[in-house]
Amino acid sequence: MFFLHNLERRVTLHPSYFGRNMHDLVTTKLVKDVEGTCSGDYYIIAIMDTFDLSEGRILPGSGLAEFTVRYRAVVWRPFKGEVVDAIVYTVNAHGFFAQAGPLRLFVSSHLIPDEIQYDANATPPQFTNNADMVIEPGTHVRVRIIGLRTEVGEMWAIGSINGDFLGCLQA
Amino acid sequence: MSKTIRLGNRLRYPITIVKLLKKPGDVVKRQEPLMQYSFKWMKTVGDSVRGETWEEEQTSIVNWDSPSDGDLKQWLIKEGQRIDKDGPCFNVKEACSHDIQFQGLCAICGKDMTEVNWAAEERDTARAPISMTHDLTNLTVSADQARRTENNLQERLLQSRKLSLVVDLDQTIIHACVDDTVGDWQKDPSNPNYESVKNVKSFQLDDGPAGVARSYWYYIKMRPGLEDFLKRVAEMYELHVYTMGTRAYAQSVARIVDPEQKLFGNRIISRDENQNVIAKSLQRLFPVSTNMVVIIDDRADVWPRNRHNLIKVLPYDFFKGIGDINSTFLPKRKDILPPAQPTEPVVVNGNGKSKAKDAAPENTAEEISEDTPVTQAQLEEQERELEKQMKDRPLQLLQEKQDKEDEEAAEKATVNSEDGDDTPPSSPPHQRHQVLRDDDTELEFLEQHLTQLHKAYFTEYDQQKFRRRGEDAASIPDVGPLLDNLKSKALRGVKVVLTGIIPNEISVERSEIGQQLISFGATILNRVNREVTHVVVNPQRLMTEKLKQALRIPTIKIVNPEWLAACFSQWAIADETPYLVHVDVSSWAGGRQSSNRISDAEETDDTIKGKRKDRTLRLKPKLNLVSESGETQELDDDSDDEGDSDASDGDDEDALLPDVIEDGQLSPVDGLKTFNWGSADAELDEFLASGSDDEDDDDDEGETQETEGVTDDEPTPSRKRKFEGEEGDTEGEVGTDSDRGSTAGEIAPKPWGQPKKLRRTQSIRGTSSLRNQYVSEDADVDGDGDSSLPTPQVTGDEEDVKLKDLHEAELEAELEAELLAEFNAAPDPVEVGGERDQDKG
Repeated sequence: MFFLHNLERRVTLHPSYFGRNMHDLVTTKLVKDVEGTCSGDYYIIAIMDTFDLSEGRILPGSGLAEFTVRYRAVVWRPFKGEVVDAIVYTVNAHGFFAQAGPLRLFVSSHLIPDEIQYDANATPPQFTNNADMVIEPGTHVRVRIIGLRTEVGEMWAIGSINGDFLGCLQA
Repeated sequence: MSKTIRLGNRLRYPITIVKLLKKPGDVVKRQEPLMQYSFKWMKTVGDSVRGETWEEEQTSIVNWDSPSDGDLKQWLIKEGQRIDKDGPCFNVKEACSHDIQFQGLCAICGKDMTEVNWAAEERDTARAPISMTHDLTNLTVSADQARRTENNLQERLLQSRKLSLVVDLDQTIIHACVDDTVGDWQKDPSNPNYESVKNVKSFQLDDGPAGVARSYWYYIKMRPGLEDFLKRVAEMYELHVYTMGTRAYAQSVARIVDPEQKLFGNRIISRDENQNVIAKSLQRLFPVSTNMVVIIDDRADVWPRNRHNLIKVLPYDFFKGIGDINSTFLPKRKDILPPAQPTEPVVVNGNGKSKAKDAAPENTAEEISEDTPVTQAQLEEQERELEKQMKDRPLQLLQEKQDKEDEEAAEKATVNSEDGDDTPPSSPPHQRHQVLRDDDTELEFLEQHLTQLHKAYFTEYDQQKFRRRGEDAASIPDVGPLLDNLKSKALRGVKVVLTGIIPNEISVERSEIGQQLISFGATILNRVNREVTHVVVNPQRLMTEKLKQALRIPTIKIVNPEWLAACFSQWAIADETPYLVHVDVSSWAGGRQSSNRISDAEETDDTIKGKRKDRTLRLKPKLNLVSESGETQELDDDSDDEGDSDASDGDDEDALLPDVIEDGQLSPVDGLKTFNWGSADAELDEFLASGSDDEDDDDDEGETQETEGVTDDEPTPSRKRKFEGEEGDTEGEVGTDSDRGSTAGEIAPKPWGQPKKLRRTQSIRGTSSLRNQYVSEDADVDGDGDSSLPTPQVTGDEEDVKLKDLHEAELEAELEAELLAEFNAAPDPVEVGGERDQDKG
């Protein structure tokens, strides 16, 4: 689920950048540092704006200036039970992997409807019900997240397409 | 699914069950108390300050908490029961068995498996310890799931009547290098290598070992016939790629080899997923059963656990001297031969085909107990290697060297012309002309073997199925024994003695060559006796005791290691003719033979294709190959070989004498007519000028001494006869040798070992064929006369020779005496006696 989230971060700036457009530089650096990262529970998708930029304080010893920036960002936090759209990127006998934006999902064969079976003879291998559902790399699927685990900078999820309106999107 | 939960090791046994808190059928949760038990323990009571303490037995009652979730099915313990040690406690039907886990998550229920719970002794992540997907390591499965998956796979394969084939990339189906010379050659049609490198593919990696690696162009040469090979094999086998390269590399190569991804699909596993940098394991892909899996790889030592499934392939060495660019992590491949001797000429000769000698290489599956993942240092090492290759451009160097030699060769009149290549007619070490030659035929043999194996497997499978009709196919045949069986027929009846090939400190049976020989059904003997059929010698170390013994027995074929390689490749007793080592009086002839053999070896590969028995067919190309005089010799060789097995008297001579000379006497003389004496003179001058011979000598000396030291006490009675034979044939030899020497354009002979003295003479005197022939002749004459001198130490003798080369004649005599002494003391009176009679007569 997407949120607008108020966040705070300390940005340091090298003395060579000190000058009139310092604040712009701080914002640029913030965007560069923060956008697209995963902070444990959520991904920071985009920074909307900064609404508070503190005065710079010179860090003793290094000469870098430290700014405390408070900013508003669009964050995405996947939840257990949430339904997301994803793109399949690997298929193997145990299930398939899909990517929902930055989040990697694994959908095991246990969580795929029984009629959709693994077909290793196809090139590339695919899950298919021999009708309209063909899951192979590149397929768009709708997946319900049933498990999530996070580590610093990374998240993994377990998905399921066992349910109404889940599975292949083109179908 | 029901699971049995045990009490665990942490309880203070013995315990007594006090009360069961849950009934069968109840839903239990983790950490929920399930029962109470009591245990007794000693407590120290009293006044510790005054020291008046004593122990008192206490009984405590404790709750036992459930280590897992699910439905309690059945208690396996009773109230009041006394339990002395860990044992089963109850059966539970678990909600989820966590069979598939992805990065610490159960892929079935979505629970976090990394949570550690004090109630459970075992971590949940341990339930799915097996990683069996090609391209991922963070997807793990339980043994049950692995079995299910594999059963499905086997069923599917059986239905389509296929097996699995795990294919190595580097030097098995392709050869890769990062030498930009290849790129330059590709753009330059005038380059002699242009034809060869024309269809070399190249790519750049988008990842790789950081930094510089990004800018490398990788040049990939597919083994000749690869496309068709894979296409046909893919009808019988499901193909997997298993390489020690990085993932990006493996995928790039797979794109080249299999652009449509029809052959390999996504069944590619690389070093990144292998979890072990020095060994490959089939269990990584097929954790349960490898019954239907065959491997083709050029290295056997990286498959320590799966030798039975392995078909070892001759390494494909297109870019000469490059080796395997992804093998820096692996233990060093050990060459079959010791490093070429420092003498320049020998090295030159050795170079041409040094990699082919490598054919049956890697002496031991050396167990390096290094199970660490790729370290930074290793990565850096690889990068250094690559960088070095980039900078040094070894191929260019090779070609330059080649060109230089070509020029030299051009000056000499040459008779030999090359086969269909567009290279100008040249001297026998023809691979010098273009460094890169595209003449590998291994895949044809390999396809035959694979087809054979596939057929054998499904014959066996059908039989088994027929036998146990009705029962479900509980067991399927194992490909390992079938493969072993097929292989073991290949060299059945061959009894081999290896000499000078495997370092003394390694036992023959444990060496790579030994293991292979045994797997092909050959018998390896440590001593030469009448049973022995082949002696494999190291052409660079001929003065071994075993060889001398072998010379005594006419039925023994003395071959060089390339013969082994050919046998291993063909799975049959390869025709020995091209590989025979002619240990004869004039080692010059041997030297010539050796160079000839090199070309033959390749020729054989080209032409044999299973018609091994049809000698005429096989020989035809050889006629083109060698000089006029050589032709006849070759043919004669063959006829001799055929006779060999009969162990007739004439063959007796063969072992001792150069059959070439004996039979081809006339033709070599004919060859003399066309012989360019000027070039021979030039050659002689050149050699006398070069001072490297002494070094050579020194080296030999050391080796000889070594071997002699080991086997000094063994008799060597065969010498005498040899000399006699020499005398008879000297004239023919002179002609032959000089002729050959010049045709070969060779500078120095590899000491083909012969009677020690002769080799000595040769290397000492320089290497012109003419010169040394005369020397040996002299020596013979002298040597025959005096035999009453005391027997000197062999090693001492050798040293003498080295020091005073001018007194050879005397030394000959000494040696002769020694031999005679040994001869008389020989333990085998019948054989020796017979020989003596012949001598006297």
